[in-house]
Amino acid sequence: MNKFRWSTFSARRPYLFTLLLLVVCMAVNFVFQPGLFERNTLNSNMRVFLPSILLAAGQAVVVLAGGIDISVGAILSIVNTILVTKLGARASTGRTAELLAFVLVIGMLAGAINGFFIAYLRLQPIITTYATSFLFGGIALAILPYPGGAIPAALATFYRGTTPLGLPLAFLVIFLMLAAWALTQRTRYGRYLYAVGGQPDAAYATAVPVNGVQFSTYVVSGFMAALAGIAITMLTSSGSAGIGDALTLTSISAVVIGGTALRGGVGGVAGPILGAVILGFVRNIISFANVSLWWQTFVNAAIIVVALAAPGIIDLFRRVVYENIKDIPAARRRSAGGHSVPGQRPAA
Amino acid sequence: MLAVILFLASGLLPNGYGSDTSVALAQATNIIRLSVFLGIIAAGQTLVIISGNEGIDLSVGAVVTLTAILSYVIANGNDSRVLPALAVAVLVGAAIGLLNGAGVIFLRISPLVMTLGMSGVITGLILVAQHGNVVGAVAPIMTRIIARPLVFGIPGAIIIWLIFGILMWLLLERTQFGKNLFAIGVNRVTARLSGIDVTRMSVATYALAGALAGLGGFLVVGNTGVVFINMGNSFLFPSIAAVAVGGTLLSGGKGSYWGSMAGALVLTLLTSLLTTMQMPDSVRRMILGGTLLVLISIYGRQRGFRQ
Amino acid sequence: MTVSLSARNIVKHYGGVVALADANLDVQSGETVALIGANGSGKSTLSKIINGVVALDGGQLLLDGDPIHLSSPQAAKKLGISTVFQELSLIPQMTIEENIWLAREPLRAGLVDARTLRKRTAALLALFEGTFRSSLQADTPISALPPDEKQIIEILKAISFDPRLIILDEATASLDNRQVERLFQLVTQWKRAGKAIIFVSHRMEEIFRVADNYSVLRNGVTVGAGPIKGVSERGLVELMVEKAATTGTMKRDRQMFSAPTDHKLRLEVKDLQTDVLGGVSLQLHDGELLGIGGLKGQGQRDLLLALFGDMPYWGEVTLSGEPVRFKHPNQAIKKGVALVPGERAKEGLLFIRSILENMLAPSWKNYGFPLRMGRARADALKVGASLGLKMAGLDEPVSSLSGGNAQKVVIGKWLLRDPRLLLLDDPTKGVDVGTKAEFYKLLAQLCAQGTAILFYSSDDEELLGLCDRVLVLHDGIIRAELSGTTLTKANLVAASLGASDEGAAAAPGTRPAESVPSQRVQ
Repeated sequence: MNKFRWSTFSARRPYLFTLLLLVVCMAVNFVFQPGLFERNTLNSNMRVFLPSILLAAGQAVVVLAGGIDISVGAILSIVNTILVTKLGARASTGRTAELLAFVLVIGMLAGAINGFFIAYLRLQPIITTYATSFLFGGIALAILPYPGGAIPAALATFYRGTTPLGLPLAFLVIFLMLAAWALTQRTRYGRYLYAVGGQPDAAYATAVPVNGVQFSTYVVSGFMAALAGIAITMLTSSGSAGIGDALTLTSISAVVIGGTALRGGVGGVAGPILGAVILGFVRNIISFANVSLWWQTFVNAAIIVVALAAPGIIDLFRRVVYENIKDIPAARRRSAGGHSVPGQRPAA
Repeated sequence: MLAVILFLASGLLPNGYGSDTSVALAQATNIIRLSVFLGIIAAGQTLVIISGNEGIDLSVGAVVTLTAILSYVIANGNDSRVLPALAVAVLVGAAIGLLNGAGVIFLRISPLVMTLGMSGVITGLILVAQHGNVVGAVAPIMTRIIARPLVFGIPGAIIIWLIFGILMWLLLERTQFGKNLFAIGVNRVTARLSGIDVTRMSVATYALAGALAGLGGFLVVGNTGVVFINMGNSFLFPSIAAVAVGGTLLSGGKGSYWGSMAGALVLTLLTSLLTTMQMPDSVRRMILGGTLLVLISIYGRQRGFRQ
Repeated sequence: MTVSLSARNIVKHYGGVVALADANLDVQSGETVALIGANGSGKSTLSKIINGVVALDGGQLLLDGDPIHLSSPQAAKKLGISTVFQELSLIPQMTIEENIWLAREPLRAGLVDARTLRKRTAALLALFEGTFRSSLQADTPISALPPDEKQIIEILKAISFDPRLIILDEATASLDNRQVERLFQLVTQWKRAGKAIIFVSHRMEEIFRVADNYSVLRNGVTVGAGPIKGVSERGLVELMVEKAATTGTMKRDRQMFSAPTDHKLRLEVKDLQTDVLGGVSLQLHDGELLGIGGLKGQGQRDLLLALFGDMPYWGEVTLSGEPVRFKHPNQAIKKGVALVPGERAKEGLLFIRSILENMLAPSWKNYGFPLRMGRARADALKVGASLGLKMAGLDEPVSSLSGGNAQKVVIGKWLLRDPRLLLLDDPTKGVDVGTKAEFYKLLAQLCAQGTAILFYSSDDEELLGLCDRVLVLHDGIIRAELSGTTLTKANLVAASLGASDEGAAAAPGTRPAESVPSQRVQ
């Protein structure tokens, strides 16, 4: 008999809390920006959020399998710089398509480099992706030393104007990602992710190809970072080698807010996607709430820190409360038949 | 170890600048002087990395910038205000470090995430403080001690660094704090069962690292005489690379400050070589990133699944 | 189905330590081979080599007569070799069915076939029907299960793909009577189906019940093999242990000692409770060696940790006459308490640090600022000498020491401080026989000097030979206090199983005896 138990229901759907947070956020945003749900505003907002959403999805996959990728911002920057320098304003559709495919491959290649060092040479993910973030950042800087560059106007209008079913393009992308993720969760690979993130030694002993799985997550992350780079290029129509720097932290925060713990093995992709949207709305709120321009960076950063700290605070709270209200331990109740004072036992 | 070899190599190179030994000596002195700041900033990083638990401090860049600006503003060209400026720099750094430590230990936030987030907050704070222009100046005594030759023609900075190095060695190898630090870096459970207060040690380590970064900020502004946004950023990555080059295990529990000093020298040498060759910033970054990658490939490999 | 496996002259090193020097094993369809050996003999290493988790350094594996090279657990699985592990290979956050079928889920059009999965899981769970405490749903997460049920899932996982060779590595460790019974029934079925089984264990009763042949490992070398009918329990023990030390040398000369209860009362515990302990009370005097016995996991570790300040508890503790409640080990250490923990590598040593640093770890405070290294080295050398520590030098990393010597460092760490109350959590586990003998002498010395010792051992012989009194824990409470004439093996074993005055043995949750007593207590 399957009784409905809230704890198991919510544990298997970690994005529930994130969903709640999203609703709250949108409500607050609405207060400051009454035109929030108008078609154009919504479309424009989602366009801005999309790169972060893509990054967050990729980061979620890596984190789920127990790793982390701090180089996503740099990969995004590389893609951006390549596009604006190689395309220019007058590129043909064919060339555009070629280049778009090319940068996706570049993204996967960058991810493969990360994956090689981490999964096969068994280096620590944090320091490795930190090193590659510098390496990739340098490459981006070499490609485009000064901000500038251009892309065909058609791309920008495509990004701005495409509204499938009258909804923002981002909605379609999110839908596709969620569909892809739902499918993945039902494959063996999906289970491998949770196993490798949850208990890598046990997964290895169970013949899960742990190294291969970890490697693949970095390739996925690189691919998503490249997609995000394409999106941001279409959004801004220009390039800058440092464009991705701030987005790395955003992607990690989105993952944490989305209920996918950094230790791995828990969560999914849906939560982080919502998390990225939430962070986008938060930034909106800050700018619309008449917070002075100078304070905006600080407030945004502070909110990110609070978001990152939230799981820890909740946990701390629970630990402290549990310690203090714990009642007589179960062992006492169990041994109803035994004595606590020793007596002599007769010899055999 | 490798660090020693690199150190020797870096020592040889300045002499390759021609047959005039006095020029070579001047070059070498200059490199060493430039290394001082990275070296002191890397000290805090060394401590945090030794303390284990994936310890790292990504907020040092922002702390350096913040404390440099604070020193600049407080000193304001006034010799008598130098000591208060130094005190504030160190204390502010320590406070930030304390927050880092609290987040890592009590809220169980990974050091990477905590310090990265913190650096964003500090940068935000800097913008808030800086939205007028920053008014201030470096006090002359700072420049005199730090930038100019003090004794035997050796710049004061180098002497400060030497004394600092000895103090760091004392701290790590001849104090209870140091021994406990290595212990918690190797195995927190054993450390606790040996009576070490892991919580207090960890938080103190981050606070100390913050304080040292604050000291670094003070010295940096004393050397350059000017402040600008993001001035601390160029020290962040090299501080980690210096520690790695120096042979300190990134997983914690083993290392030394001499190694980090050698690492700082190597990295500064590398950077100045690249500058001399007129390599753009992009190449510098690529080489730094690549070097760290190579280093950890040699030293940082962890246990594989199959034994 | 037919299968045969031979392991010939297997060699394995871990760094400088030799785990296997010359291991041999043969097993065929329809038979069960018991792989026997003391702690540290290499049993687990050999089974891990056969399973593909660990790579061998020398020797050969032959499957069905052909040499094979196992590069990973996957390779072993493909050849039909399956293992039930000692340390579980389950993912806690995933459910029972997810774990059983991990990496082998039935697929339909590339996606996991949930219905088939559920059906097959139900079929497997049915094999152990009636032996679970609660009803087991296929979608329960592993983290919600007690250890015995986790072990059963581990077993189900191992047989889910119909393997040809099954390795049971201490698989009965956490199972109760009924579950072991059911497992042995399954083993009989498997043998009939032509499977081969390797049964790694140190439980004599089980070995004699289920095995057809035996193979004994000692210090990494196979020293004996043959049909189980041709050997006695005594014979096996003699093969496992070097001739020199048997129970004889363990007897402590109790006569050299005055009655412990005349001495000062060092420790008094009243009604101590934790999550596992149900209310333990005891008294310990200076110079007394009080033993704690019972099967693993009955609360012994909790008791020691609580006394040392590493575990919160309810109840009262009085040390040296004053009431105490330690919230952190350093408080306990300050009052003269010391703990030698159960897992040497994980809890007792700083592996990559030097021997000197390990020995001085709790004591640096006493050496001033800056630390007087000369004095520290002298003190460490003195303690090392008194323990007979064999090392290359104080600055060598402690990882370079053998198991017995490493344990001496752990003990030395505390002896340096001259503790008044010494707590020991299974200190001779994984220690060679020679070191054990030295250790017993040391304990006797410490008692003579007036140290109060609380000593948990999973080895009944040790408790019998060394202790003045033994408190046997079962299910979180003291089931019996044995001393003098009541301190016998039979009573120990009976109390470990929870037998009480009131009659029949145990409530569910107990396990069969570790060795066969000549009479059973009714």
